[in-house]
Amino acid sequence: MASDRIFGLVATLVALAYIASATQIQTSFLSDPVGPRAFPIGIGIVAVICGIYMALKPDAEPNWPVGKTLLAIGFAIVVLVIYALALKPLGFIIPTAITAGILSYQISPIAKNAVLAGAGLSVGLFVVFKFLLGLGLVAFPKWIMG
Amino acid sequence: MRTIKTLLGSAVISMGMMTSAFAAECIAPANPGGGWDFTCRQIGKIMYDIKVVDKPIQVTNMAGAGGGLAFNHVVAERGSDTDLIIAASSATSTRLAQDAYAGRTASDVRFVGAIGADPGVIVVGKDSPFKNLGDLINAIKAKPSSVTFAGGSAVGGFDHLKPLMLLQRAGFTDITKVKYIGVDGGADAITQTIGGFTQAMTGDMSEIVGFLKAGEIRVLAVLTEERIAGFEDIPTAKEQGFDVVAVNWRGLYVPKGVSDEVFNTWADRLQKVADSDEWKAAMKANGLAPFTKVGADFQGYVDQVVAEVRQLSKDIGVIK
Amino acid sequence: MDIFSNLALGFSIAFSPFTLMLAIVGCFLGTIIGALPGLGPSNGVAILIPITFTLGLDATSALVLMTSVYYGAMYGGRISSILLNIPGDEPALMTTLDGYPMAKAGRAGDALVLSGVASFVGAFLATIGLMLLAPLLARVAYLFGPAEYFALYLLAFCTLGGMASNNQAKAAIASCIGLGIAMIGVDNSSGLPRLTGGNLHLFDGIDFLVAIVGLFAIAEVFFFIESHGKDSSIGVKLGKVTIPWKDINDTKWTMLRSSVVGFIAGILPGAGASLGSFMAYMTEKAIAGEKGGFGTGVPKGIAAPEAGNNAAAGGALVPMLTLGVPGSGTTAVLLALLMTLNITPGPTLFTDRPDVVWGLIASLLISNFVLLFMNVPMVKIFVRVLQVPAWVLLPGVTMISFVGIYSLSGSYFDLLLMVAFGALGYVLRKLDIPTVPVILGILLGGNMEDAIRRAMVISDGEWTYLFSSPIAIGLWVAAIAGFVAPMFFRNLLKKPQAVSD
Repeated sequence: MASDRIFGLVATLVALAYIASATQIQTSFLSDPVGPRAFPIGIGIVAVICGIYMALKPDAEPNWPVGKTLLAIGFAIVVLVIYALALKPLGFIIPTAITAGILSYQISPIAKNAVLAGAGLSVGLFVVFKFLLGLGLVAFPKWIMG
Repeated sequence: MRTIKTLLGSAVISMGMMTSAFAAECIAPANPGGGWDFTCRQIGKIMYDIKVVDKPIQVTNMAGAGGGLAFNHVVAERGSDTDLIIAASSATSTRLAQDAYAGRTASDVRFVGAIGADPGVIVVGKDSPFKNLGDLINAIKAKPSSVTFAGGSAVGGFDHLKPLMLLQRAGFTDITKVKYIGVDGGADAITQTIGGFTQAMTGDMSEIVGFLKAGEIRVLAVLTEERIAGFEDIPTAKEQGFDVVAVNWRGLYVPKGVSDEVFNTWADRLQKVADSDEWKAAMKANGLAPFTKVGADFQGYVDQVVAEVRQLSKDIGVIK
Repeated sequence: MDIFSNLALGFSIAFSPFTLMLAIVGCFLGTIIGALPGLGPSNGVAILIPITFTLGLDATSALVLMTSVYYGAMYGGRISSILLNIPGDEPALMTTLDGYPMAKAGRAGDALVLSGVASFVGAFLATIGLMLLAPLLARVAYLFGPAEYFALYLLAFCTLGGMASNNQAKAAIASCIGLGIAMIGVDNSSGLPRLTGGNLHLFDGIDFLVAIVGLFAIAEVFFFIESHGKDSSIGVKLGKVTIPWKDINDTKWTMLRSSVVGFIAGILPGAGASLGSFMAYMTEKAIAGEKGGFGTGVPKGIAAPEAGNNAAAGGALVPMLTLGVPGSGTTAVLLALLMTLNITPGPTLFTDRPDVVWGLIASLLISNFVLLFMNVPMVKIFVRVLQVPAWVLLPGVTMISFVGIYSLSGSYFDLLLMVAFGALGYVLRKLDIPTVPVILGILLGGNMEDAIRRAMVISDGEWTYLFSSPIAIGLWVAAIAGFVAPMFFRNLLKKPQAVSD
């Protein structure tokens, strides 16, 4: 119950903010009859209606993860964000091995398997992507390669 | 699964290696299928075929902001990359003139040259009541809402400017009354026109050649100085009394930071493509007219075009 | 008969050992590319285009290789839909709805074989259709103006609202999320940026692949972390893989109908394979009614979208070859390939270059048979993907997703967006808000807005123009009926399960 109400309210607020920023869209001198604002505003209005409806008539409450599991998911998001930022400066293999290992450990907490998954996936996928599909991946950062 | 991948890998491995190792790159600042993509792929292929480069040129599509994303990428991140060429056309200079590349200007890169031009055309469906350019212009003058143009560029883009220039020459000043819809490319524009949803199409010769041969359309005017070889029965706008010349040149630019030597190497390669029979055949097949300006004087030409379009865009109110 | 002599010409070109080998390599590569989440037919074909140059292939051989990769990817897309509940590419989205529940029920092998056969039927009939009708069907494109397109997109959203969730407000809000995201970036009509907050990365808008991979693949990882790999898709029991003759026989009319629907959807420029599989699924769901159990893992729910999307892939070649108007992202890439090979698609292609057209059609027929044999006996190999333990597979899927998205743009920004979509997908699925309409909104939002704005330019802002043709009126009626009808029947017909799961 509460989740739907909260989501409905948040969606309504986001939609209102969306409408507000849509009214700020620049229009050019040679505009068409509809213009660049009308359609986004229309979407926002439909979203507001749906959000209010959700807040007033919520469905049954889902099972949210609690405590450690919630932390684990939060941690996984942080790891993926760091991975996204590290991929370019640090090359493919090292960040991939670390990230794959961490995710593997989070799904099944056996250290040996996690290390295997990290090492195997980073090298295996590098070979497949680089040589099979010809993607321009960089294995290691330049300062390691000399 | 992995063994199969590896087995298969060995079969294709050599291909992958060859394409990825230090081949020069041509950025087409649009999705596949358009004019910039054509420029990159065709010039890249011919450069390899006539052996002025020893590896096939790899084409990267970097669509976004009407070429602005690629322009910005080249200026900001690849400023001295010697193995990089980027497809350009009148659309590039039009957007530079309208300051649509976030403050970047034509002098932020080096224009290598143009080796062909796509003549602008004004086209109607085969059953259209408009028999010549004068009919169409007069109809718009009498009732601007009676005609909608379809074109492949956004509002204010090169395709949009063409009919506006014609109307301006014809003494029609209420430019904002002219109806134009920008669709996804020339082929879409012509489909809408043949379907009768729009009354006329503004675009480039290469976009209409197939439809012309199939007898689906009538070309009211070609926007060149003289009639085009191979299409001698199509009159120019000029001979119908509307002195407008608008061609979409196809060419390349390179990053600003490259040495004169590198610049000259690319200019030389481009000149060889222009002189090749392959390019002549490609131009003929795609309705391009010869238009070769390579090397140092091309930058001057681009500067001049940019200045012209800027003035025009101000005149008709596309920019302030 | 003209067609037979033409076809003979085509086969004389396509039936050499070399082109056959290319077809087999292309089909295999394509199937793998299609199966990998994040790599779909369009980027798969795009990546391989340089290879055709390196090999110095002539026009026909290059076309054979690329079209077999294209068809292979269309087949392959179903594999991860069924086994992992992650569509391998965007048209395979609908296959997750019944394919995954069926695999969960222990019939992964049957689902894969059946979908392989359905893909074959769809693709085969579409190729025949292309052959017979291409010169005539090309004219359908002339009947769809902005008003008709707008009504068509509206129909897609309205019927989706009725089917995607038990709660229409939730389906509608999901559509709004997608549509709202689609508005971000440079406005097509005016060329001015919208809703980007001045962020240059957003000028391009948000790539739907980023959203798809985030909402499906990355969100899935979070679910696995929550459940520690228990109670998950990986726990699917694999029965003996046999050919499910009964299912095939039961779904034969479904396959035929879906092929026709998909083919027609594919012909519409810009609609493409996604709409084909969607329309096919919806049509069959409507025919089967609530007793059909669509969404619970029924064979028809697999046969319909697979026949539909493969037929649409064939249909999309019609406007591409005859008008030079690509019907989908992949056909746009194929169009680029043709132009590079100095072939100008257009109304005259069939008369000017019969060798190319009929060689292509013959090679499509050949690669179809290759794919059928590759996908039915080899189904066991694909099912073995299931036996890879979750602690390898899920990190693997994540890494492949990262590389796939990274290879699109080379930008860390897209990767961050993908992670954000993953988190969003997790929350939405927890709240029973379907994620399919989000994707559809991102895919179609821009087109839908363009359509209405163009219509209003043409009509000088006169709204009645939207209902000015019989086609448009028919689509509007269907759209309203599709949205309103489930409201009245909701209490009578409780849906067994939300289809987004």
